[in-house]
Amino acid sequence: MRYLRILLLTPFFLFATVPQQPRDAEKDTTAILQANYIYNIAKLVEWKDPAMRTGNFVIGVIGSANLYQELIKQYSTRTIGKQPIEVRKLPRTAEVESCHILFVGRADLALLPDIYKRMANKPTMVVTEYEGALDDGAVVNFVKVENLLKYEMSLSNAQKHGLVMGLTLKNLAHRVEE
Amino acid sequence: MNMARRILIAVLALLLAPWAIAQGDPLVEALRKYQAGELEKARELIDLAVQAPDHATDPEAWLLRGFVYKDAYKSASTTTLADEFRDEAIVSLFSCMGLDSAGTYRDNAKQAYDFLTRSYFNDAAKALNEMDDVRAVHMFEQYEDATLKLNPDADLRLRKIEFKNALGTVFTKRFNMDRTNLEWFDRAVEAYKEVIAIDADNYGANYNLATLYYNRGVYNIQGINADDEIPTILQIQEVSREFFQEALPYMLKAHDMNPTRRETLLGLEGIYYSLQDQQSSDKFRELFEELPPEEDR
Repeated sequence: MRYLRILLLTPFFLFATVPQQPRDAEKDTTAILQANYIYNIAKLVEWKDPAMRTGNFVIGVIGSANLYQELIKQYSTRTIGKQPIEVRKLPRTAEVESCHILFVGRADLALLPDIYKRMANKPTMVVTEYEGALDDGAVVNFVKVENLLKYEMSLSNAQKHGLVMGLTLKNLAHRVEE
Repeated sequence: MNMARRILIAVLALLLAPWAIAQGDPLVEALRKYQAGELEKARELIDLAVQAPDHATDPEAWLLRGFVYKDAYKSASTTTLADEFRDEAIVSLFSCMGLDSAGTYRDNAKQAYDFLTRSYFNDAAKALNEMDDVRAVHMFEQYEDATLKLNPDADLRLRKIEFKNALGTVFTKRFNMDRTNLEWFDRAVEAYKEVIAIDADNYGANYNLATLYYNRGVYNIQGINADDEIPTILQIQEVSREFFQEALPYMLKAHDMNPTRRETLLGLEGIYYSLQDQQSSDKFRELFEELPPEEDR
């Protein structure tokens, strides 16, 4: 029953509303905002797993081509701490590789139940954008509040993935689930 | 020599015949020079004539002055000179019609006056094409003044709508070239709002104003970069939200006026998307996708 909400939403998202023509990346305001949020969130979270504190800081994106482009354009030359950011466009499959942050867009919500299972207890922060995502296992979820894009977060889910969410991040969140 | 000029010269020559006896009358001399195509000399003489007590209130003198200056306007070597000559021609022809209580010269004077008035509007349009908004505004004001001077009840609304819409487009182009200069944005908004104040159902002004506001909101967000932190992102969004909200009623109005226009469907899809209203955005995206190609007008 946990993923019922996703399953109910999936046909709607997959068949009814996915635009046939992609939105112009330059005018995709949501993608621009999400990219910046992801970058700032990355700066304000600590990965407890020592293995995650070396090498590249990997941000994986499933779906949302515009978010991927924006991350590449604005943030791929930046670092998180001393780790250079590496943005990866991942195939539309639940068999995802390990990354620090994994974003799954609304067009690929059907993959999420499997992704949550695969990522359970792994040091990957799952970020997504649908109502109730925190209940399903996401650490960060983008929400629309009074015509603004904000984020909510789950501290318990963060803990399960070995993530320590910074105080600033908590204070600026629209909602924090303990 | 065109027909109007020939007729004018013939009429004036006939009427001025008694004066011709008087040697050195500047009006007669001006006409002779005008007939000979010596415009510069004709101008000097006609200027003297209208200052002379005999001709100061003489509609014939003012008519000839109007034609001399009109021809000088047409053959002027610079824009500045042309503008100056045209203004003088307008003043002279207007004086002629005011003094001509019998209406003897009215048709000739009015024909020339109307030609010059139209030329103000044409020059305003030409200046807009050249992105010279200052000259365009000045020319349009001259057009309005000249028209209303002769006919205070003239309905200039259509012309004003046409001009202000084009002016708004010029200001929008200027703003798009330098988006840090908000003066152009404000002036574009003002121009479109002037059109809407005259004609609330003007499709172009509603659509263009909506697009202007929407693009400003998008541009704000496009300025976000890696140096911006979360509080800044929230502030930027709040500012952009205002522009998106400003855009919405104008785009809805344009859409109501023509529900099958692709541009307004996409416009509404974009505005709602940026207002984080996914459901409404999807609705207009679907309407856009469903539109058959032949509806794209």
